[in-house]
Amino acid sequence: MPHLALTGLKKTYGAARALNGAALDLRGGEVHALMGENGAGKSTLIRLLAGLERPDSGVIALDGTPLRLGNPAEAQAAGLRFLHQELQIFPGLSVAENMFAGRAYPLRAGLVHWRALRTAAAEALHRLDVTHIRPQAAMDALGPGDQMLVRIAATLLPGASTPWAYVMDEPTAALTGAEAERLFAAIAGLRARGAAVLYVSHRMDEVLRLADRVTVLRDGAHVSTRAIADTGQARIIAEMTGREMRDLYPPRGTATGTVVLDVAGLAAGALHDAAFTLRAGEVLGLAGLSGSGRNDLLKALIGAVPRRGRVTLDGAPLGDTPAACWAQGMAYVPRERRAEGVMLGRALGETVALPHLSRLSRGGFVNRRAEGAQVNTLAAQVRLKASGAAQPCGQLSGGNQQKVLFARALAGRPRVLLLDEPTRGVDVGARFDIYGLIRDAAGTGAAVLVASSDLPELIGLCDRIAILQAGHLTGITPAAGLTEAALLARCYGDTPSKDI
Amino acid sequence: MAQTLRRYGTLIGMLAIVLFFWAMLPDTFMTARNLINISQQISMLTVVAVAMTVVMVMGDFDLSVGSMASLAGVVAAVLFTHDWPLWAGLVAALAVGLLGGLINGVLISLIGILPFVATLATLTMFSGAAFMVSGGKTIFGRDIPAAFSDFARGGLSLGQLDGRALLLPWLTLLALAVAALVWVLLEQTTYGRRLYAIGANPEAARLAGVRVTRLRLSAFVFTGAGAALAGLMYAARVASANPTQGSGLMLTAIAAVFLGMTVSENGQPRVLATLAGVAVLGVMDNGLTQLQVDSYVREVLVGLIIVLAVSISALGRRAVGGR
Repeated sequence: MPHLALTGLKKTYGAARALNGAALDLRGGEVHALMGENGAGKSTLIRLLAGLERPDSGVIALDGTPLRLGNPAEAQAAGLRFLHQELQIFPGLSVAENMFAGRAYPLRAGLVHWRALRTAAAEALHRLDVTHIRPQAAMDALGPGDQMLVRIAATLLPGASTPWAYVMDEPTAALTGAEAERLFAAIAGLRARGAAVLYVSHRMDEVLRLADRVTVLRDGAHVSTRAIADTGQARIIAEMTGREMRDLYPPRGTATGTVVLDVAGLAAGALHDAAFTLRAGEVLGLAGLSGSGRNDLLKALIGAVPRRGRVTLDGAPLGDTPAACWAQGMAYVPRERRAEGVMLGRALGETVALPHLSRLSRGGFVNRRAEGAQVNTLAAQVRLKASGAAQPCGQLSGGNQQKVLFARALAGRPRVLLLDEPTRGVDVGARFDIYGLIRDAAGTGAAVLVASSDLPELIGLCDRIAILQAGHLTGITPAAGLTEAALLARCYGDTPSKDI
Repeated sequence: MAQTLRRYGTLIGMLAIVLFFWAMLPDTFMTARNLINISQQISMLTVVAVAMTVVMVMGDFDLSVGSMASLAGVVAAVLFTHDWPLWAGLVAALAVGLLGGLINGVLISLIGILPFVATLATLTMFSGAAFMVSGGKTIFGRDIPAAFSDFARGGLSLGQLDGRALLLPWLTLLALAVAALVWVLLEQTTYGRRLYAIGANPEAARLAGVRVTRLRLSAFVFTGAGAALAGLMYAARVASANPTQGSGLMLTAIAAVFLGMTVSENGQPRVLATLAGVAVLGVMDNGLTQLQVDSYVREVLVGLIIVLAVSISALGRRAVGGR
C-alpha cells in the first residue's frame, strides 16, 4: 500500500503563520478525515499537496522518498487527485466528454471515435458502481452530486494512470442527502480498491461515519491522529477548539409567551399546506427531505415568493414583499450565504444595515453615526472577527460571513427570526456562537423558525420540530428526547424514496 | 500593497498626463483661462457620465444616452421654431428625457431585457426619432432664442485677467451642480445605498427588502433625464441642434466611468472617480488639440489610455486576488 507522510510542515504568508508544524500520514485503503476550525491550516495543507504552494520547511514523502510538489502536474504524477466543492466542469458538453477533458479522445481514421469514447466512459462509471448516469447525458443536466461522481469516475478511465489518493474538500457542502449517500458509496468503493481518501469536512456526523482515522489540526499545528474507534465527537471538538465543550447546544428555554406568528393554510412553491403557531421565546425546527417545502416556507414568510393562506404577525396580517416583512419585524438568514446574503465586495456594515436603512436614516439621508453605532454593537454581540465595519464581506471566513447575516437579522430586535441552514459550512467555534445567539434571541422574546438538514442540530437546538413531507406539514413534535433515527423516519413518512 | 499600486498607479498616470501637457505647452496649458475652457468643454460629458454612473452602480449601463441627448436638443429647437417659450421648450425636452429613460427602465427592469440589448434598441429608436422631429436638418439661426445660447456664453464673473473679464461658465457650474446632486444621491442617501446593494448582489438585495424592480427603473429614468439635460447644454453651446450632435457622448461617458473605476476603491463606480475620468479625457482632448494632433490620432490615443488604465487595474486585481 502506498504511504504518504507529511512532517514538520511550516508555511507563512507575510506575517500570518498558516502552518506551524503540521503533519499528516495517509495510507492506501483508508478514509482519513482532516479536521480543524477555519484558519487551522487545512486549506494551506491541501494547497501544498496540490503543488499550488511550496512549504517553507518540512517534508512530504511518498513511500519514504521525498516528493517535490512544485506544480499541479507533479502532484498528479504522484497519484494525487483533488475534488473541491465547486467543481470545474464544462456545462455544455456530455458526461463522456467531460471525463475525457484534458486527455486525448479516442480516434478512428483521424476523427473522434464517439462510440469508443462512450464505452470507455461507461466502463469507468461502472468501476465506481454508478449506473444511473448515462455517458451521453449533458453535464449541466446533472445535480452537483452526480457531477462529482463523474469527476471521480474520470480518474478510473481505462488506460489512464489511476491515482491512489483522493483529496476531497467539503465535498457534501452543496449536496442533498441522497446525493451525499451516493458519494459515500463511491468513497467506500475507492477505499475497497485500495485508494486513500483524505476527507475534509465540517460535518461531524459524516466524519464519524466515514473515516477510519482522524487527524486534527489547530493553529497550523498537528494535534492528534487517532483511529475513529479511539475518539469521538466530544474529543475531536475539544482538540479542534482547545477547550472542553460540555455540551454542543445551549439549554432549551422554558417559558413560552404569547403567540407571535399564526400561520394557516400556507402554500408557496413546493409547500402545499402548512399550519402552525409560533410563540415568543420558542425555537421551532423545520425538518423535511429536500423538496419538502422547507426552504419555500421560510421564503414565503419573508415575502420573497408569492404565497397563499393566512399569516398574521402579532395579530396583524403579514405583508407580501420582503420590504414589508422586514419592516414588520421579520428577519431572515438565507440558505445560500454568498448568493443570497452578503454583498462580498462591499463593507460588511452595509450588508448589516441594508434592511434597516429606513430606520437608520432621516429624510432619505443615511444617518452614518446611528448606522455605525448599530453595526458596532451588533458586531460585538455576535462576536464577529473583522477589522471593522468597513471590511468587505469577501475577506471574511464563512463563519464570520454568517455572523454578519446574524448581526443583520438581530438588528432592531426582530419579532421572528427565519433561519435557513444557519450553520451550513460553518466551523465548530462559530457554530457554538450561533447556537448561543439563537437561544439568546429567543430568551429576549423573539420567536425563531429554523430549517436545517442537520437533524442532530434540530434535535439539540429546538424546542419543537415541525415535520414537512412532500409539501405538507404533517406534525409537530417536542424535540427533547427525540432520536435522529426517529426524526428521520418521521421525515420519510410513508414515502421513503425521496431525497433528504 | 498591490491594491495601493493599482489605485495610485492610475492616479500617477493621470498626473503624468497633466505634467506632460504643462511641459509641452508651457504658455497656454496651465492657465486659468485654459482650465476654465476645459471645464466648459467637458461640462456636457460630465453630466452624461455622472448620470451614467447611477446605472453603472447597479452593474447596468445605458447605450442610448448619446441619441437621447441629440433628441432632446432637437425637440427643444423644433419647439422654439414653433414659437414655444424658452421654459416650455426646455421642460418638454427634459420630459422627453424622462420618458426615454422610463422606456429603458420598463424594458430592463419590468420586462427583463438585458441593458445592452434594450438600450441598443432605444439608441436606434431615439436617433430615428431625432431625425424625424428635425426632418434631418440642423436647426439654427434666428429660430434659437438668444437667451438660450447666451446662457452657454455667460458665467459667473471672477474679475479681470489681462484686461479681459474672466467668467466661470454657467455650463461648468451646472455640470458641477449635477455632479454634486448625484454625489449626494449615491453617497449619502438610502437610495444610493440600495443601488450599490443591487450592484453588489441583486438577489441578496431583494431578500433584504430592497425594491429592486422599482429602483432599477427609477435609475434609468434619472439617466435619461441627465442625457436630455446634456443635449440641451450642447444645443445652447453651439446655438443649434442637429440629430447627431450627441452621438459621441455615449462611448466617451462610458469610457470616463470605466477610467474612474480604475481609481476607486474596490473598482466600483463612484461619482468623484467618474469626475476624475472625465477630467483626464477633457485634458487629453484639450492638450492634443493645442498640440495640433490630428483628431483621428487623438481618438486612437484616447482609446490607448483607456486600455492602458483598465489593463493596469485588471493586472493589479489579479495580483491582489492571486495570492
